[in-house]
Amino acid sequence: MTEPAVAQPAVITIQGLSKSYDSRTVLHGVNLEVPRGQLLGLIGPNGAGKTTLLRCLVGLVQRSGGSARLFAHDPATESLAIRRRTCYLPGETGIYHQMTGARFLKFALGFYPVHCRDLKERLLEQFELPLNKRVRSYSAGMKQKLALLATLVPDVDLYLLDEPDRGLDASVRYFLRDVLHSLKDKGKTIVLSSHHLSEVESLADRLEFLMQGRLVSEQRLLRARAQLRRQPRIRLRPGQSLPAGATMVRKELDGMLVVTTENDPMQWLRGIANDVIDSAEIGVDRLEDLYQLLLRDDLPLRDDGDEA
Amino acid sequence: MIAGKTWREVRVIALAYVIILEMLAVPVLLLWPDIYADLQRSTLFQAINWDWLKRIGSGVSNSNEQIAYLNWCSVMLFFRSTNLVGTAAAVLIGTGLFARERESNTFEFLLARPVSRSSLLWQKFWPCALVVTIPIILVNATVVPLSWSLELDLPKWELFLASVHAAVFALAFLTLTMYVSTVVRVQAHVASIVGAFAILQIGMYLTQRIRPYSLFRLVDFDWYGPIMSGNTPAWQMFNPIHGPGFTTYLLMGVVLCYFLSWRALRRTEP
Repeated sequence: MTEPAVAQPAVITIQGLSKSYDSRTVLHGVNLEVPRGQLLGLIGPNGAGKTTLLRCLVGLVQRSGGSARLFAHDPATESLAIRRRTCYLPGETGIYHQMTGARFLKFALGFYPVHCRDLKERLLEQFELPLNKRVRSYSAGMKQKLALLATLVPDVDLYLLDEPDRGLDASVRYFLRDVLHSLKDKGKTIVLSSHHLSEVESLADRLEFLMQGRLVSEQRLLRARAQLRRQPRIRLRPGQSLPAGATMVRKELDGMLVVTTENDPMQWLRGIANDVIDSAEIGVDRLEDLYQLLLRDDLPLRDDGDEA
Repeated sequence: MIAGKTWREVRVIALAYVIILEMLAVPVLLLWPDIYADLQRSTLFQAINWDWLKRIGSGVSNSNEQIAYLNWCSVMLFFRSTNLVGTAAAVLIGTGLFARERESNTFEFLLARPVSRSSLLWQKFWPCALVVTIPIILVNATVVPLSWSLELDLPKWELFLASVHAAVFALAFLTLTMYVSTVVRVQAHVASIVGAFAILQIGMYLTQRIRPYSLFRLVDFDWYGPIMSGNTPAWQMFNPIHGPGFTTYLLMGVVLCYFLSWRALRRTEP
């Protein structure tokens, strides 16, 4: 007989958090709770407020309204206590270009008393960074790897990662996924923002969509994704026209047609002769499509506590 | 840690600063016996219409060679070298303190570390403060043995007091620049603002009617001359009630600018 799962205490509790810059509101009454040991994926288009939300959590930016608690501390007044238990990877890689990689690493890690030494060795081995060279000679991907090293090696309770996969190639992204999994297995809480829906989805325990400063309700998200799955992407063979039973939504730059079908898309595809369609994709959530649908959807962005 | 990083960033400027100060001090003092005779014969200072320049002229050509030499040191070591180079070094070091972090996107990284903003400010400030002030005192101290070679004496205590005052003036410019660096995001803009302020102050100093309102009035020959001669003891430098208290005014300026920097940094967002 399995024991009932014990609810983990919340590491992050946000209620009605809002942030405005002059007359522009970036976050509108965001409610969020992240329990200990959870890996939360924060997805959203550029300008949705992901970075601002993470900055609010770590106390870099003062919220305009609502409340936030991390480890029962308020980031507005007790950010130091939060930062002692948190590692934050900024979205824009900030590394001292005049330092060598080794010097930067020593500097960045020096702020934290305890490090995951085995993880450090693992990351160093995988990333193969020329640590004795100055950072100014590094490529964008190498700088991101160095920033990741500086962020993931400290042994803290919470990791806030703003687009950690920026500038990384696919193999490193997969490796990063393993690393984040291993941190999660150790009971660490991770919040990461990303543009790669499929990768974050396979990694995160939970996804939250942030659109125009509001979290998208699960109901709306499910509806949008269900709708997307009814929209196959097809490439017609030269000289062929769109088969009956489908309406074109748009033509993409790569020549693929996004269509909606009257019936089940699988059935529709099966009924088409092989010489009409060159290739087809079905059931693939593309983030851009999801954004488009979410923006068009007239459901409220968030059911609970939404100020709009 | 941040202090160590700050030191590594400014150590080259510190070295250049020491060398320039020393190079400005040694040759002019070695000119002394010859230039003293020339100064006594010269009518140049009397021909100029600026009172303060006339006072300098009469000071450095005083019939008592020891007094004339003290005045010469006041003009060359303090009125010229430390005012010029000390201010420039303070501005050069101060501009990058926070504006450079912003420009290179490292400001957010730094603010996200588990260090309070007060500590961040202090750890950035004190290495720069030492770099700006200590060379003034050290370089001026090297002038003492040099004067012995000229068979002249420089009063060590008075020289030290004058050096302290000059160091506090440079420190005031450093904290002013640091404050601007916390509120202005571009390093070049910080340098332009503080540079324009310094030029304005020099312009005010050179304009007879508004000269008393210039900051450089606190560090001119009329101030250093009496200190070097022993006429302005330490208590007068620091006591604004019963003496001129210029050093205290400058220290108050340092404290004010430091407080403003702290307040600006506390509120700043990346």
